[in-house]
Amino acid sequence: MFKTEELQINIGPQHPSTHGVFRMLVTVDGETIIDLKPVFGYLHRNHEQIAEQNTYLQNMPYTDRLDYFNSMANNQAYAMAVEKLAGIEVPERAEYIRVLMVELTRILNHAGALGFLINDMGMWQTQLAFGMREREKILDLFEMASGARMMCNYFRFGGVVRDLPPEFMPKLKELLVAMPAFVDELERLLRENEILMQRAEGIGVLPKELALAYSVTGPVLRGSGVPYDIRKAEPYSVYDRFDFDIPVGSVGDVYDRFLVRIEEMRQSKRIIEQIVEQLPDARGGHINPKARQNVRPPVGDAYARIESPKGELGFYLVSDGSAKPYRYKVRAPSFINLAPLGDMCRGYKVADVVVILGSIDIVMGEVDR
Amino acid sequence: MTVKIERGQIVTVERGQRAARRIPGLGLLDGMAVVWKHWAGSFRKNQGFNDIHGVFTFEYPEERPKLPEAYRNMPILLYDEETGHELCTSCFQCERICPPQVIHMTQAKDPATGKPVPAVAEFVIEYDACMSCGFCAEVCPFDAIKMDHEFELSTSDHQKLTVFKEQLNRPISYYERIAPTMWAEVREGAMKKLQGNIKRRPDVIGMAPNLAEKIAARRRELEAAAAAAAAAAAPEAPAAAPAEGRKLTPEEKAAKLAAIKAANAAKKGGGATAPDTPATEAAPADEKAARLAAIRARNAAKQAGEAPAAAPAPEAAPADEKAARLAAIRAKNAAKKAAEGADGAPEATNVSAPEPAPAPPADGRPAPSGEAAGTGAAPADEKAARLAAIRAKNAAKKAAEGHDPEGS
Repeated sequence: MFKTEELQINIGPQHPSTHGVFRMLVTVDGETIIDLKPVFGYLHRNHEQIAEQNTYLQNMPYTDRLDYFNSMANNQAYAMAVEKLAGIEVPERAEYIRVLMVELTRILNHAGALGFLINDMGMWQTQLAFGMREREKILDLFEMASGARMMCNYFRFGGVVRDLPPEFMPKLKELLVAMPAFVDELERLLRENEILMQRAEGIGVLPKELALAYSVTGPVLRGSGVPYDIRKAEPYSVYDRFDFDIPVGSVGDVYDRFLVRIEEMRQSKRIIEQIVEQLPDARGGHINPKARQNVRPPVGDAYARIESPKGELGFYLVSDGSAKPYRYKVRAPSFINLAPLGDMCRGYKVADVVVILGSIDIVMGEVDR
Repeated sequence: MTVKIERGQIVTVERGQRAARRIPGLGLLDGMAVVWKHWAGSFRKNQGFNDIHGVFTFEYPEERPKLPEAYRNMPILLYDEETGHELCTSCFQCERICPPQVIHMTQAKDPATGKPVPAVAEFVIEYDACMSCGFCAEVCPFDAIKMDHEFELSTSDHQKLTVFKEQLNRPISYYERIAPTMWAEVREGAMKKLQGNIKRRPDVIGMAPNLAEKIAARRRELEAAAAAAAAAAAPEAPAAAPAEGRKLTPEEKAAKLAAIKAANAAKKGGGATAPDTPATEAAPADEKAARLAAIRARNAAKQAGEAPAAAPAPEAAPADEKAARLAAIRAKNAAKKAAEGADGAPEATNVSAPEPAPAPPADGRPAPSGEAAGTGAAPADEKAARLAAIRAKNAAKKAAEGHDPEGS
């Protein structure tokens, strides 16, 4: 046979398939990946150090910029951490609004993530445009409530900044009418599509044990067959009041992650329907009147975590009794889910790397911080 | 793995049939059917949130997006058109809360007593670094700062994104138009607080710069009417009253005020060598003061230029032009004085306090204050004054043509 030679090449650092500035140092033998080393830090902006020089409230808009797809989820995790630290109560209605916003975020994140995944496979734009179109509607709702489409900055300690505007609920109900048709259409478009199946089936397999060893969370972990969802494992906010299922995969390849995301969109829609039912009966206002702008939590530390669309998003805060956090640490799901990328890619072809990366669904704003 | 969860179950997602076992291409055709359906729908408009087909896009420059009331882009300052007074009292709440720290302001002072009044002298927002979080509008106790709906801010001139009070000012009616219910919620309280603050503001302090002249003219009219009434009542008075009333035109008054302010600021700059003031702080303060004076002088000149438009009589134009020119000259002088003050300041600090490094450009905000600092100050200010004179002339010309400056 021919003698082959290993070769080191860089994929990136410019946008390897639209996911942000990220570099992969790949060792290849012909077309086959032997080793892959993720190199990141290109989007580092000293987020945690900046946060330690701001007051607690001033950090809220900065958390929007972590995972800029899911600013509402970031807001919730941070608000929960500070509330835990300072012992602030949140009224019931505010909790419902928060959960509503985060579930909408989950739908828009998955619609976008699937679009980018298919985009990575070379099916240009069509799927992405379908996903983005649905995402736009949800962003319109966010804009109505918070004033901004992406950098919502909607949550405050002890509630949300303002109550839902009167035109919000009718629009949301309209959206819920269209949502099943959209998800079904998405599935019909792609589930049995030969191109997708060839590019996704059996590619980037992440075994259950390895996923647990890397402490991977979110759809990536569930795609590997571990039914772990913080909304069920450690119900926070008002999640214990809703019926919803946890989809899991059986193989742990790109295709499973894709299917898990589609099913999660359906489950999120189920949750939102229950919220719409229960919200009018929820007690309390949209914000806790005792919640102040200048929070000075007592000395101590707190860790709050939520099931963000990408996995476990946690904020660890240490207070020294002043108005600024002494330590501020983000447990970013994108960053931790990126760690097994090398193991997932080993043995596959170079062209599969971008697909596997797309299936993890990372946002570099969160990875590099 | 056997895990039980409450209120729901664990479902294993159903994988599609392997391509090999199906008729090849069927899945693709199925997907294509979806695409075709969308293509067929692309000949009509989307019907709203419950419709997933149809054209979603709109032709932007012609068709404008309908923005929700809560939409926030960049902060603006409100003023009341009836009285001309700004709602801002320079309480510094927004400056303190601003996460990227892009809001800067100075409090207005009574020129007679030197005491601070609840009004803002200069207000600057660096739009280029603003993150549109909306905290400033949220914390403002006087509802003076609000979030604008204007989003077409792109410019080729970076300097334009450092926005001063004149460009930030918007009438209340503007905000009422873009956010009617949000304004209705706070209207009563805001107006009440404003009335209270107006009482504590002497003369034209705290007035929107583009309206100050209009208001002053109106006030003069009222005073004249009162004087006439008094004259009718007491026959002794007329000798003094008209002379007093005719003494200063509003343009001259404003220009004089600006000149006094500029001179004071310059004096303050020179006098900052007092041993009790720390040297490191003195230098930036002087720059600030000098810069402020220059801005004021420019404003005064501009106001003077714009004022004639407020006067309805066409014959007034030549007289006003003269006044405008006078004001411009005065503004120029004031600016020169201010520049001299800024020039002298760093030297003075050097002499009085040699041990702590004065370091004027490095300290404080480098971009805006650096312009006015040190030797560079004189030409820049002279330029500004010249520009002001040109502008005043132009404005006077415009006024003669009957152009309304408020429209621009």
